[in-house]
Amino acid sequence: MEATVKKFQQKFKRVKDDMDKWDDLHARLVSQFRNASSIIGRLQLLESPKNYGSLKNLDNIKNTIFTKQMESLQKILLSMTKTLEELNGVVFSLAKTVRDAKQQVKGGSVQLSMKQLHQRIGVKPSIADCLEGLRILHEMYQSEYVLKSSVTSALVSLALKPSVGDLQSLERLLVDQPNIPNEEVQSIYDVIFAEEMC
Amino acid sequence: MESRLSSLSLSESTHQSPQNSGVKSSPSSVSVSRLWRPAAQRNMKNQWSRLNSLRHEWISSSSTARSHATSLVNAYLSQRHFRKHLLSNFAVNKNALNSSVNFIYLRLFSATASELVLHQDELISSYKDMVTTVVNMVNTSASMRCFLKGATNSPFIQFSSTSEDTNDNGDGGGIPVFTFYPISTFEKLAWEMVEMFKLELYLKRLLVIEFLSLRSKEDPINKRLCWSDEIYEGEFGNLSRCNLDHREAPESTFVQPNFQPDSDILQVYLTAWLTDVNIDKLRVDDIFSEVGEDMHVNYV
Repeated sequence: MEATVKKFQQKFKRVKDDMDKWDDLHARLVSQFRNASSIIGRLQLLESPKNYGSLKNLDNIKNTIFTKQMESLQKILLSMTKTLEELNGVVFSLAKTVRDAKQQVKGGSVQLSMKQLHQRIGVKPSIADCLEGLRILHEMYQSEYVLKSSVTSALVSLALKPSVGDLQSLERLLVDQPNIPNEEVQSIYDVIFAEEMC
Repeated sequence: MESRLSSLSLSESTHQSPQNSGVKSSPSSVSVSRLWRPAAQRNMKNQWSRLNSLRHEWISSSSTARSHATSLVNAYLSQRHFRKHLLSNFAVNKNALNSSVNFIYLRLFSATASELVLHQDELISSYKDMVTTVVNMVNTSASMRCFLKGATNSPFIQFSSTSEDTNDNGDGGGIPVFTFYPISTFEKLAWEMVEMFKLELYLKRLLVIEFLSLRSKEDPINKRLCWSDEIYEGEFGNLSRCNLDHREAPESTFVQPNFQPDSDILQVYLTAWLTDVNIDKLRVDDIFSEVGEDMHVNYV
């Protein structure tokens, strides 16, 4: 029993690594988003010849600048897709942890009774606490991943008809990560590692 | 294919290939040419690694210049914004407040004016760095040849980067320096790249002039900087070294002096600065990987 709980605590430490990796990727995605968004915000300006001031008589300048900006935008969008893939990798890894954990409880040599599952020794968490914690964490990151991919596709469609307000609210949504409330994550870890806080 | 094969077999074929028979006086004997190659290779590697660091230098000074230009534009816009705000707020009881408003405004004006001057100086200094980089690029791509120094029949053979003999054109008779490319091909590739940077410098100069011309309505200096003005001392000397003639002003470029362009135009200027319109980055990378492949050097 105690050994199983210990194993589960190890899993939570690995999940922490996954979450750290997620944070790095999230920061990368946000900065990519900001770069893309500032290009998209400029596209309208670049379309109007009257905004070129002294440059307007240079051959082809408007087209060249416009094309180059579109190329950079495309490059950024591609790298955003790559970042999203890596984020998805983190979600996969969390899913695997949950699956393994369930397997461990069900497929173990000794079948645990309901009572054993919910039994807490001292401040140590029960096995059910561990399973539930892992499940919730996976669910949060899974939904946040779905949100991030839709924000990214929304950005692509905004490239065609930009609006500053929309760009800003999308950015807010991306930065906030509403599906991963920090306090909730923290409270899960508080339960699992209660003994370390004593 | 025929000529490539014959040039591969080095000096033995020099007297056979027709294009080389005229420049027989280039290091023609087998021993000279055998010694010429290592010297030429060493020089070539040095020049290209120099070009490689120069292109990175350009990127860094261009982005420094851009951030100074951005601060300059921001200082200018906030000054203008503040002025508008102040005037509209106090327009009602203008007479009563006029003197105190003027006082505040003048204080703030002189503060932002000196801020403008500061950013202008920074912009000029990083523009200067960019000019220097392009001058160095031009010089470097003109130093790819390797000339025989001293008499051919002397037992002690030396090479230098400057020509002493008008018959020696420093290309080793057109033989490949490393694998396939003769000197002329290396030069052609270098010029192709340097040409892009020269054109871009031209555009950047135009933008620098625009940024340096930003000033407020109250600024007593009414003379606007023109294309034919020297931006810093010695600029014209540098520009002529890269064959950029400042007098060739594209007059049509200057529609009318615009002392106060709006923020949209300024943002387009900054974007134009950022995009390096004339530099085809992919092609530049290609040139370096092509050259690197031929001389077995990896430029990343």
